[in-house]
Amino acid sequence: MRITKTFMAALTVLFLVGSPASANPLEDGAEKFVSSLANEAITSLTGPEKSRDERVAEFRRLFRDRFAVEVIGQFTLGRNWRQATEDERKEYLKLFEDLMVASYVDRFNNYAGEGLKIVKAVADDDHRATVHTDITRPNAADSKPVRVLWRVGRSADTYKVLDVVVEGASMSITLQSEFSSVIRQTGSIAGLLGELRKKSADIEAAAKTN
Amino acid sequence: MIILLGALSTVSACATVPPPGSASGQAEYEENDPIEPLNRAIFAFNRALDDAVLKPLARVYRDILPIWARARVDNALDNLRAPIVFVNNVLQGEPTRALTTLTRFIVNSTVGLGGANDVATEIGLAEHDEDFGQTLAVWGVGEGAYIMLPVFGPSNPRDSVGRAVDFLTDPFYHWASNADRPTAIYARAGASGVSLRADLLAATDDLEKTSLDFYAAVRSLYRQRRAAVIGNGAATVKSMPEADAFPDWPTSEGPKEVSGKH
Repeated sequence: MRITKTFMAALTVLFLVGSPASANPLEDGAEKFVSSLANEAITSLTGPEKSRDERVAEFRRLFRDRFAVEVIGQFTLGRNWRQATEDERKEYLKLFEDLMVASYVDRFNNYAGEGLKIVKAVADDDHRATVHTDITRPNAADSKPVRVLWRVGRSADTYKVLDVVVEGASMSITLQSEFSSVIRQTGSIAGLLGELRKKSADIEAAAKTN
Repeated sequence: MIILLGALSTVSACATVPPPGSASGQAEYEENDPIEPLNRAIFAFNRALDDAVLKPLARVYRDILPIWARARVDNALDNLRAPIVFVNNVLQGEPTRALTTLTRFIVNSTVGLGGANDVATEIGLAEHDEDFGQTLAVWGVGEGAYIMLPVFGPSNPRDSVGRAVDFLTDPFYHWASNADRPTAIYARAGASGVSLRADLLAATDDLEKTSLDFYAAVRSLYRQRRAAVIGNGAATVKSMPEADAFPDWPTSEGPKEVSGKH
């Protein structure tokens, strides 16, 4: 039975794009978008021949293309967005993107053949849908797949990720509460900007020494 | 038990729940942490303990045992939890889930060789977890303020009581006490801790490395995760930012320039 399971998992990954079409074009488009995003990430970020700088550039391009960076950044700043000056907002969005790139680019280094299986897509309204996926972890003792939801928005024919929800925890909400905690402790948005700058630099420095 | 519940409802009555769908309300709700300085101190202690004891053990465990063996251990530990999951299924008025849990326990304990093999999942009876903290939530008890427990980690008054009740009502505890085998209790707790920690090593290392405020991240993740498991997954959609939290995307005029020139 184990062999059958492994075989099925392999098939699932192979035919990632060929998930059944749903009746709703928004749901169908959202499913295809998430499938191709996963394939794109794996092919462009897991090649052993790429230097770290190349992977950083690839990831930044992917992140800007496929994620609604400005919208997510604005959400994660929460109430503080309204208090921020125009210059602070600009600087914040740049630093936010830098942190996301620095944080996630190295997570593909230890890619061990995790598969992404589309479970279903559910339209939230006329331009937003949630794509439910199961991510299998070949190296975890717990064989239960990790349930990841992709909140996707559509405008004309362009889809972008609005949020990623891992086992019930929204990345945007988590970052929002972290950022508001830092603003409270440092006393200002400028304090958060300083911490963002420092964190990205720390991650980069650690990656270079490895 | 009654006294505990009474005390619990007093505590949770102080916690105000924000209106659903309010993004800023959600953020303030996350900050329901009146003893934050103490919690942070305990969190620092827990991290030191983790670094000194649990993490090294989990690394050795992960590196020495092949994945096949670790999966058997994980299955057996999950199977030991089945009686508590079953009781909480019943207390939550979920007969179908209770039946699933019961069948899983019988199948895995016999055909699955003492729970080492999760045969039940392969025949379509997927595992799910329940605990008395979730049952209290289903009964309408609020979570109350955030508490960082020494050793056990993130919690709140409701889930702390839940944890104690689950422990004391577990048949395993009674068997071990009656047979005068306290080491069995320690062995199980230790194995559960190490097995779980080993699976989480990569995730927590990443989070620790990349978060601006690890304490605040763990607090937020714990709250969201508990809300999701209480709703048995149905609540996950509600835990996401509501539609009006994304006012600028997408617009009806066509694709918006999002990437910006940095």
